[in-house]
Amino acid sequence: MNSRLQHPAWPGLVKLSRVLARIALGLLFVFAGVTKAYDPGAFAIEVERYHLIPWMLGAFLSVYLPWLEILVGVLLLLKRFEQGALLLITCLLFVFTFALASATFRGLGIDCGCFGKTFATTGTIFPLVRNVLLLALTGFLWLDF
Amino acid sequence: MGAFVRQAAWILLAALIPASLTAAFHPRRPVWSQETLAPGEEMLPTILSWEGSVLWVDARSADEYGAEHVPGAIPLNLESWDQLFPKFLDRWTPEKKVVVYCSATTCELSREVADRLRKSGISSVFVLKGGWEAWKNRK
Repeated sequence: MNSRLQHPAWPGLVKLSRVLARIALGLLFVFAGVTKAYDPGAFAIEVERYHLIPWMLGAFLSVYLPWLEILVGVLLLLKRFEQGALLLITCLLFVFTFALASATFRGLGIDCGCFGKTFATTGTIFPLVRNVLLLALTGFLWLDF
Repeated sequence: MGAFVRQAAWILLAALIPASLTAAFHPRRPVWSQETLAPGEEMLPTILSWEGSVLWVDARSADEYGAEHVPGAIPLNLESWDQLFPKFLDRWTPEKKVVVYCSATTCELSREVADRLRKSGISSVFVLKGGWEAWKNRK
């Protein structure tokens, strides 16, 4: 066993880090959901620009996904249905990361659309890196279970 | 793991409620049928949302350009490429999105110019779906 892990302050620090990670992830998902729920029509166009799914499915996702993000974010913050919320957040991040990687690989030159029109000119590389970091953060929270 | 999946299923179901209300009543809900965009093509409302970061390129003939064009657009066509491309480069910066248009949906000039621009190393090149007609008919 690593000697640092046996330090009396270490378990407390780990616990605090997990609380902060949970709050950060929860707030981020709520924010992402709210910005997209404000204008689902515009979000449907953002989804279409990835050229990955038919328009009808994109239109459905544009009304469904923002609320799912808000719901999992709120549940993670409130520590209710936390396991299910964390599972869905992980799945969503994997799907988003795949979509961003695919858009980057195909050189589509589109914006992420991750936060509706709030940050409309971020491209796909920065969001891709951010998503990988968020997946790492999610992995850290999985250690709780 | 069963608890994880069960909870996730409940959350997925619960999200359907506000999603249904959004689909039915949200003033900015999406339309459910849409013409498919070809790769590299963009609709005018999307392009207008990019605001100042767009460089418009008119792929039509010099006469058509002279008669009327999108404000700020620069002419660029395959016939006069060698003369017009340097002028395009004077206005282009890497952070700008280049939007090429020709007369209407049926014309191929914008696609050809967009392809040539991409081959010349210009990133973020798009074709306006509907071309000049779409611009003229904008609300």
